[in-house]
Amino acid sequence: MKKLWATLRRPSVKYSLLSLLLVGFVSGIVFWGGFNTALEQTNKLEFCIGCHEMRDNVYVEYQETIHFKNRTGVRAICSDCHVPKDWTHKMMRKISASREVYEKIIGWVDTPEKFEAHRMEMATSEWKRMKASGSRECRNCHNFDAMEAKKQKPKAQKMHAQAKVEGKTCIDCHKGIAHLLPKEYIDPDE
Amino acid sequence: MKCQMQASKLFNVLAVSIGLTFVYSTSAFAVDADAALSLARQNGCLKCHAVDKHKDGPAYRDIAAKYKDKDHAETVKKLINHITSGEKAKFPDGHEEEHKIIKVKDVAQQTNLIEWVLSLPGGKWPETD
Repeated sequence: MKKLWATLRRPSVKYSLLSLLLVGFVSGIVFWGGFNTALEQTNKLEFCIGCHEMRDNVYVEYQETIHFKNRTGVRAICSDCHVPKDWTHKMMRKISASREVYEKIIGWVDTPEKFEAHRMEMATSEWKRMKASGSRECRNCHNFDAMEAKKQKPKAQKMHAQAKVEGKTCIDCHKGIAHLLPKEYIDPDE
Repeated sequence: MKCQMQASKLFNVLAVSIGLTFVYSTSAFAVDADAALSLARQNGCLKCHAVDKHKDGPAYRDIAAKYKDKDHAETVKKLINHITSGEKAKFPDGHEEEHKIIKVKDVAQQTNLIEWVLSLPGGKWPETD
């Protein structure tokens, strides 16, 4: 171990500084490109529904919603709502998602019954994350300032105006729009 | 022989149809109230409706009162269409919007929800509040 460390620390006598810099630069690009490509693969819809836990539960429900199919043909996939776009938050989300790999291994929600039993817990955790970021992922596409109120339905106009005044963000009202709400969820107005 | 088989098939179809009509017309549907309430919660129905109070939509008890004396099978069909087709619904201020379409497509679950709503007693129609 000591010998390896000494070798690593010893200045090169064989290669020029330029060669070392070039090799380092190219290796950096290859490594970084590869890392980011792999990371982006985990953001694809196909990756998310690669596991039956997602494919057989939330994916089925999502296909019935406006985020899957709509008049304009704009689709929001899983990562659009559940993974931040900017690098720092994305990395933090990916690191926290490593827990989900462990849960996959132990079969935490590997049957529809288990999924239902944990739906409230999973939804609450995601709503909390969205609330903490001010619905950042929703706002990647939706923005109060870009909304043409006149083109909205009267109820939506009223609710959005009220939400703006009260400083609310999307997730405060729009829960369960791409999935079913948990059976245990009770609407504040209920 | 072939004629006999066809007659037998026809008899079976008629028997099932008569049976279903009898079940619907006598409201003998075994309502699972917990499942119906869960379905309503899961689909966000309770954002606009409540069991007892008028919100943007009428109280479920009042809906039951409205259809109390109507043909039951027709009412179930009509209300399933109401929650699955996006037809217009009237709001308290008079404007109309498409009714939200239920996400769950299982007809048995939809029917259970409607039957539960229609089974609720004590409502008033026209609504009082």
